[in-house]
Amino acid sequence: MQNIPWTEKYRPKRVSEVAGNKEAVENFLKWLRSWEAGKPGKKAALLHGPAGVGKTSLVLAYANENNMDVVEVNASDFRTAERIKQIVGMSSQQRTILGKKRIILVDEVDGIAAREDVGGLPALSRIIDETKVPIVMVANDPWDQRLATLREKSILIEFKRLPRTTVQAQLKRICEAEKIECPDDALKSIAERSSGDLRSAINDLQALAAAGKISREALNALGYRTRDKEIFAALAMAFNAKTVREGRLALEGLDLDPPSFFQWIFDNAPEQIPDVRVLSDALEKLARADIHIQRVNNLQRWSLMKYAIPLMTTGVAVEKRKLQPRFVKFSFPSKIRFMTKTRAEREVREGIAGKIAKLCHLSTRKAMRHMLPYLKCIVQKNPEEGRRLAKALGLSSEELSYLQRAGS
Amino acid sequence: MRISIIPCEAGYYRVMTAVGRAEQQELPWVEKYRPKTLDEMVNQDEVVVTLKNILKTRQVPHMLFAGPPGTGKTASAHAFARELYGEGYLEEGLFVEVNASDERGIQTIREKVKNLARSIPFGPIGFRIILLDESDQLTDDAQHAFRRIMEQFSTTCRFILAANYANRIIEPIQSRCAVLRFRPIARELVINHLRKIAGNEDVEVDEKALEAIYDFSEGDMRKAINILQASASISRKVDEKTVYQVLGYVSKGEIRRLLEMGLAGKVKEARDLLREMLYVQGISSSDILTGLYREIPDLNITEQAKVELIDELGELDFRIAEGGTPEIQLLSFLAKIAKKARS
Repeated sequence: MQNIPWTEKYRPKRVSEVAGNKEAVENFLKWLRSWEAGKPGKKAALLHGPAGVGKTSLVLAYANENNMDVVEVNASDFRTAERIKQIVGMSSQQRTILGKKRIILVDEVDGIAAREDVGGLPALSRIIDETKVPIVMVANDPWDQRLATLREKSILIEFKRLPRTTVQAQLKRICEAEKIECPDDALKSIAERSSGDLRSAINDLQALAAAGKISREALNALGYRTRDKEIFAALAMAFNAKTVREGRLALEGLDLDPPSFFQWIFDNAPEQIPDVRVLSDALEKLARADIHIQRVNNLQRWSLMKYAIPLMTTGVAVEKRKLQPRFVKFSFPSKIRFMTKTRAEREVREGIAGKIAKLCHLSTRKAMRHMLPYLKCIVQKNPEEGRRLAKALGLSSEELSYLQRAGS
Repeated sequence: MRISIIPCEAGYYRVMTAVGRAEQQELPWVEKYRPKTLDEMVNQDEVVVTLKNILKTRQVPHMLFAGPPGTGKTASAHAFARELYGEGYLEEGLFVEVNASDERGIQTIREKVKNLARSIPFGPIGFRIILLDESDQLTDDAQHAFRRIMEQFSTTCRFILAANYANRIIEPIQSRCAVLRFRPIARELVINHLRKIAGNEDVEVDEKALEAIYDFSEGDMRKAINILQASASISRKVDEKTVYQVLGYVSKGEIRRLLEMGLAGKVKEARDLLREMLYVQGISSSDILTGLYREIPDLNITEQAKVELIDELGELDFRIAEGGTPEIQLLSFLAKIAKKARS
């Protein structure tokens, strides 16, 4: 299964491969050279800038190129002073294990919550004072009041959004490596939409590449077009429609069918409506809209679609208006990403289920739901019997090994 | 061939045969112990009487087998065909299975089913039987196309439609079929059947384990047998704990987690978990609904809120049955829980 996210697969291995931000890269190297010389001016570096521009990648590429160990902690790993001391403190004192040099990477420092992570930041600050290895911190927003002390002790290295051409060049490189056909104007529109966030551009590319080839039509089907701003404009209109008429207008001239637009609204709703009580009412409107849309599908009666549209636009907007207005960026539907990410796994499961189905007089769907979990249990709990069953069902060794690994 | 004589509830003995082809021994038990004759059918007396009457007269109508999963719809169709045509019913192409949910569009009906239906089979009985499994998965369009085929080729072909929900079959089709209703299988009968299988497989199962399996299966024989087989693969001596081990394996408390995310107002997390359950693991929305129904009484909310949620759950169930997208409908429900927990 070759289902590594491309953002991982194509992470730069060497510093020279890091796209853009030449000045930041230069400053970072200069700082590390001062460590090499044994006299760093500041013991920590704070890399800051928007998401997906290569901050973490730079650190990893440098470590990889110089054969260093990376001790990586991100906000989700640690919480309190205690934990920080445990993870970061210890490794900051031993310069080597097995003769390898080390670098400490503290990702998302601005994500260390003041309340829950009691003493986390002061502990980090003390560790910087005493560290014997370089500490690199990464943050989107370094100007948070709580980071003041850390800022003083660090060299600040700023990363900027990547120019569209840089993003596009990276996408092209990936397409070539993956042998995907993709017209330049399609790459351009993906790059443009990313607003300089290479990670999201690569993710979008992978999502779109699910069909093996990226054509204008694929972009269109996903509402992903050169005039891509239209879809965001339509979303903005939908989420803010004051009248039923305005809600209907959101879809007008939009080259996207209502069910696809529904997916955009549905997947963006949680971010747009952060209060769960209000979100609940908005989701109910969307659930009603879904009923109308599915009737269209099941009865093949397009005339029913018109009932869904005011529900999914104005219906959601009237709920959203109960909250303070604020701007939150729209994003690509997470459903599409999810389906891409899980495609390989779903295919193996379907293959197995298909074989069970044939033998047991079931549909593939039923086999997947009613047989596969038990088969998995048998394979994992009693390997010998599992192998016999797999043989009787005619499963391939890949399929058997999926069952052995799955869901543990 | 392996023959075992098994005591039956009414005090007589029945010979149970496990077909002896070597590989058949290794088949999943649901297949290995699938009833081969109408007499072996469990708990569907009315259905069996009707089918036997039909066999006597050889006047076979189109039939609609309606009932919950694991109650013997497919099995009785096979048994019926075997008794009508003889052992070679499958090999000779006299009985053909088509799965509506695997190919649910109008195209399947137009091409596959139509071609099958129009050809005259070889043999003394001048028609073929086509089992259209999960026919409630067909779109309305496909059903309408199908209805014409039913009439057009009724001399060369009879249909058995199997469906979980008869109400999702359009009226004109229903009225052209003899409707046979399958019931969830009664507790003692499920337990007796499991005992027989266990005896045949040299597995010891204690009473509590059997009760636990039944409770979870709710009259779905397929599920019950699967749990038994998985339990037996863990230990040849199955007790309640073994059964729970399997159940814990089969569902890792996801429903509970869904509800907790709902209560905590974590809508996005709930959405991601739902997607994992529905699209990757292929858990059916009806299993999720059953699970939710079971967990609601234990939630940490007022009793009034629970009653309201159960009302909402009924609405949710209905909407999904009507064709609503499970992910969307379920997420809306979970968000309602979040709202109730906050008011």
